[in-house]
Amino acid sequence: MVDLATKSLLHDRLRFLITVSGVAFAVTLVFVQVGLFLGLLDNASITIDHVSADLWVTSRNTPNVDFAHTFPETSVQRVRSVPGVARADNLIIWFMTVNLPSGAQEGTLVYALEDFRSWNIPWNVESGNLDDLKRGQYFFLDASAVKRYGPFSTGEYREILGQRMKIIGRTQDARSFTTTPISFMDFDRAQRLSPDLLKNRTTYILVKLAPGADPAAVKAEIARRLPYNDVYTKKEWAARSRRYWVQSTGIGLNMYITVFLGCLVGVVVVAQTLYTSTMEHIKEFGTVKAIGGGNLDIYRILGKQASIAAVAGFVLGSLMAYAMRPAIAKIDLKLIIPPTFAAAVFVGSIAMCLAAALISFRKVASIDPALVFRT
Amino acid sequence: MTTVLEATDVFKEFQEGRGEVVQVLRGVSLSLSRGEIVGLEGPSGSGKTTLLSILGCILTASSGRVVVDGEDADPRRPSRLPAIRRKSIGFVFQQFNLFPALTALENVEYALNVKGVGGDDARREAERVLDAVGLSDRRHFLPRDLSGGQKQRVAIARALSGRSPILLADEPTANLDSQIGAQVLELFRALAKKEHRALLVVTHDPKVRTICDRMLRIRDGQVAADGIAA
Repeated sequence: MVDLATKSLLHDRLRFLITVSGVAFAVTLVFVQVGLFLGLLDNASITIDHVSADLWVTSRNTPNVDFAHTFPETSVQRVRSVPGVARADNLIIWFMTVNLPSGAQEGTLVYALEDFRSWNIPWNVESGNLDDLKRGQYFFLDASAVKRYGPFSTGEYREILGQRMKIIGRTQDARSFTTTPISFMDFDRAQRLSPDLLKNRTTYILVKLAPGADPAAVKAEIARRLPYNDVYTKKEWAARSRRYWVQSTGIGLNMYITVFLGCLVGVVVVAQTLYTSTMEHIKEFGTVKAIGGGNLDIYRILGKQASIAAVAGFVLGSLMAYAMRPAIAKIDLKLIIPPTFAAAVFVGSIAMCLAAALISFRKVASIDPALVFRT
Repeated sequence: MTTVLEATDVFKEFQEGRGEVVQVLRGVSLSLSRGEIVGLEGPSGSGKTTLLSILGCILTASSGRVVVDGEDADPRRPSRLPAIRRKSIGFVFQQFNLFPALTALENVEYALNVKGVGGDDARREAERVLDAVGLSDRRHFLPRDLSGGQKQRVAIARALSGRSPILLADEPTANLDSQIGAQVLELFRALAKKEHRALLVVTHDPKVRTICDRMLRIRDGQVAADGIAA
């Protein structure tokens, strides 16, 4: 079968390029905007996602993982006695100020545990031994702190809440939504750094379930025993932390608006070029009708052309978005494009182009085949 | 001879702006038989193209009857008309109307695809008719690389493909110089006769008379004369 749709589309290369560019622009914009959004949200829950806890016990109405409130550390005993709990430990996540050698003051989000290894945090240790944290005024600092603190290396000292602390290890990939650098130290050390606020207090209890335990039942029982706390599954807690930032900062709305505008530009460019092309080839479509073709034959041609533009635009747009990843990483941002999202954008691109072709469909439906006789 | 196209008392009215009704055809009757070549001439605005469109099932008559290859082109069933066109009619246009992105061979093959002929059958038939019009060596050329006469020969090949019994040509020599026009007409006549097709040629060109068995003259929407070509 002769492929009139493809051959006609490629015959006018400049127009094809413009159409593909329109789709590619929309695809790139959607990938970059949503990718950055997902990257930011990933930071909002990255520690929750990596900590190997099945349940999180928080103080009542804690909005997200970074904004913790304290409650008595002895609550952990009650959790440990709940049937189905294999292990439960206190975790402090607390904002503390850091004095830098430059004289500037910065913040750090301290993660404090008695046994980091049991909870898979930090999950990417670049240097240092976590067991050494118990041996003195030591802490691990995530490499991302370089941006806020300037260069640092293990063996150096920084003042945290006025106390001299030695950096004995570096981690990677531990981020907070607010970009406040994350540091890791022993649970007792953190309490001693801020005794007024943290003595005999904790901010979270991490819970690991026994094999075969029913998460819903254990969760309900913990909630019953700790009526002034909230209990979340890992998934619920991560979602709550992400949702807080989406709702409170307007980044969600910003993303939706940009994605909408990107799609709108794509639809307008594709619709405009397809419609102009249709008008320029109207006599050819009239000829298709005159030689016995129907509207359906022409819809197929337009639909195929729109789909080809969509696929080519998607490929080009994806390549452009992926090409931007290293540059985005350099400014410490992440572009996360999950395969399911890429598939959704692919389907969306085709839907967008077919929607853009609808205007041409309407025009074609009204073609008078007698126009083939006009000069 | 077998009648393949018959129009009886065909009227055609168009509604123009402000509700004014213009009667373009007023009771036209004619018939074409297999192997017959008929010319249709008349001044501009006399209704030639409208009649051609109705006979070719592109337009429907306001009243009257058109029977194409035994099938009634009923204006109450417009959805049937594309099928009649596919099965029974081949067109040749004044402007050639070739698809610029397709080669000569593909232009013919695509018309066959629309008629429901595909694959090797379409390719073989397209090659046959291009060979018949003497364009075998130009079959892979795009229309932009063909001369006017060659383009019209591709258009004739397209009309001949699929063995439609009726060929309708609208001013086929209007865009050709006289020498090439004469060659194209002779080729058209020879092929139509050889393959027993009925050919109706709308024309202003007096040379067309030389290939016609019969001439129809249309004036003010009516057939004014129907007679042997001079």
